[in-house]
Amino acid sequence: MAAPAPPLARPVTPSATTYSNRSQVRRNTLLGWSFILPNFAGFALLTLVPVVATFGIAFTKWNAYSTPEFTGLDNFTRLVQDDNFRVALFNTVYYTVGHVPLTMAASLLLALALNRKLRGVAFFRTAAFFPYITSIVAVAVVWNMLYNPTQGPINQFLLSLGFEDPPGWTSDPSWAMPAVILTGVWKDMGYYMILFLAGLQTIPPELHEAAKVDGANAFQRFRNVTLPCLRPTTFFVLIMLTIGSFKVFDLIVVMTDGGPGRSTLVLSQLIYREGIVNGRFGYSSAVALALFLLVLVVTVAQYARNKRLEA
Amino acid sequence: MKRRTLHALAATTAASLLLAGCGGGSEAAQNEPFDPDEPVTLTVSVWNLAGTPEFQALFDAYQEARPNVTIEPVDILADDYPTKVTTMLAGGDSTDVIAVKSLMDYSKFSTAGQLQDVTELAEGAGDLGGLDAYEQDGTYFALPYRQDFWVNYYNKGIFDAVGEEYPADLTWDEYVDLAQRITEKAAAAGIEPAEGTKTYGTFTQPWRSAVGAIAAAQTGGDQLGSDGYEFFAPYYERALQLQESGATLDYSTATTQQITYRTMFTTGQAAMVPMGTWFTSALLQSQAAGETDVEWGIAPMPQPEAGGETVTFGGPTAFAVNRNAEHSGAARDFLEWAAGEEGAKAVAATGILPALQTQEIKDAYLSLEGIPTDDLTREALAPDEVALEMPVGPTTAQVEQVLTEEHQLIMTGSASVDETLENMAERVENEVG
Repeated sequence: MAAPAPPLARPVTPSATTYSNRSQVRRNTLLGWSFILPNFAGFALLTLVPVVATFGIAFTKWNAYSTPEFTGLDNFTRLVQDDNFRVALFNTVYYTVGHVPLTMAASLLLALALNRKLRGVAFFRTAAFFPYITSIVAVAVVWNMLYNPTQGPINQFLLSLGFEDPPGWTSDPSWAMPAVILTGVWKDMGYYMILFLAGLQTIPPELHEAAKVDGANAFQRFRNVTLPCLRPTTFFVLIMLTIGSFKVFDLIVVMTDGGPGRSTLVLSQLIYREGIVNGRFGYSSAVALALFLLVLVVTVAQYARNKRLEA
Repeated sequence: MKRRTLHALAATTAASLLLAGCGGGSEAAQNEPFDPDEPVTLTVSVWNLAGTPEFQALFDAYQEARPNVTIEPVDILADDYPTKVTTMLAGGDSTDVIAVKSLMDYSKFSTAGQLQDVTELAEGAGDLGGLDAYEQDGTYFALPYRQDFWVNYYNKGIFDAVGEEYPADLTWDEYVDLAQRITEKAAAAGIEPAEGTKTYGTFTQPWRSAVGAIAAAQTGGDQLGSDGYEFFAPYYERALQLQESGATLDYSTATTQQITYRTMFTTGQAAMVPMGTWFTSALLQSQAAGETDVEWGIAPMPQPEAGGETVTFGGPTAFAVNRNAEHSGAARDFLEWAAGEEGAKAVAATGILPALQTQEIKDAYLSLEGIPTDDLTREALAPDEVALEMPVGPTTAQVEQVLTEEHQLIMTGSASVDETLENMAERVENEVG
């Protein structure tokens, strides 16, 4: 944050050096703080305080009107027995397990395909990025129409290919989650493609040339040159995707709202429902803590694994 | 000097935050008299002001009757209304009058002590439809100004074209047969409302209430699940029968394409649409805007058996006074006025049924331009019994969530009716409370 004093300002005498340096450092520190203050104040007030408060509220009974009443571990006992929590936890993991690898594969493939000199590459890169900046509500409405079991283009296409009993997608409990995952992949892959593209361009072409000279074929070069060089990017993408998938909310709410039945009910939705809708902020915070722990454990595990691979 | 100012500022901020948080007690404010000469700006929270004409009609008429009052509506998105108002009230907001959209919200706000006691006004009010629903241990915290119930809207043009009689005194089985017959006949006669569309005999709105609430009203079943949910079974079976035979647009298509009853009816794609009486207001608006030329009528809801009483379901909508209201006197006056005769007339003029239904007001309603005046419509607007859509209690919201989830499973054909109803009862027993 605080930049070191510029070398030009170094005065002659040792005592003056300390004094001048110190005041310079102090000034720079204050300057640095003043730059981040507006952002930090907003972050602290709207994110940090509520997040920290969650840890306390989770042990109380509170409906936003009353004074919170300390209830010890009641909320957590209830959490363990709550069928809705079990369903939501399973669905959240299901979404993550489907969404993370598929998005990584799709965005890496896109990046590889668009990381070459061909005519109109800028256009195709933009096209691939477009879903990411499209409004989620528009995405949900249009995909829901595509998924329509009887009149939707997807099933019409499947029928014309000879599938006799195409899936019901968002109106079938066992297909709703795959349908949402597919939409999520389509929406997110453009963003991660950009990250992979940036990563690909840092790979020195000499490495590929050397591998070529040694007689490596395209696949061998991909496995032994591209992938290892991309590791930092891959790791970053993996972390971002995992966290993003665990806290998925908007896509689910506008596409299925957790339905049909509870087939796409996820944890963040349960948090919203219990807290904002039912006014049980204590229990809702307990669910939020569970989600926090889940994300924390998975992320720490991924870091540990990355460290091992790096060593 | 500077530091002192800062401290003072901080102290003031903290104090005002505290005050706002506590909201301040306003027991005294409840007795604040209404001074007809002092200019007052009354704030009223409403949903979707542009699409809910009775609000503006009420405000205009009230301001005419009380020239010293200026009403300032607080317009809130309809879908966010319950959440937004909950947040406002919890934060000590001082909006004077709160329009209470559902009984579930009413129960939430009143048990949290956010509304002023208006028992005095309720006792002085006339015969208000749905007033009982607001009673809590002899106390009232809101006054209804509007009372809706479900009827069967039908498209006279389609009935004439296929040569069927208008749907008077139907039983549910006759209704299913009729819908299927109309669908077949319309297809045979090649009636196409628009290129590539089809005329359905009826349209079942995907809402849970379209099946569950009417079942409870007509069988006397308890939707909070005290005796299981078997009473839903025949109603779900008929709903599925309609959809499987193609006599209504299927649930999955209606939800994934977000097709509304309004579109289905005003474009002539459905010959019948069971719906709440608020639909009349929407139809009148569409007609006035030249968006539809459907000639329509209103019939009573189909009944389980012929010759019995006409039973349907519905619910009142009310205004309440915020406990932290800035102008309690004017707010209470507005409540009383809106529920009274003048308010009822203003509401009726927009095609919405007011809670106060004297003969005079009914006549005014039926003489509106565009409202069908045939005998069947008159009969439909005077049901023998209007049951509440959903019993109100501390567990209502949770039960509703479970019932809605299981409703989706039945309507998408994902699980059998009997099995799902058993699950419903089991889940309500285990999860609610």
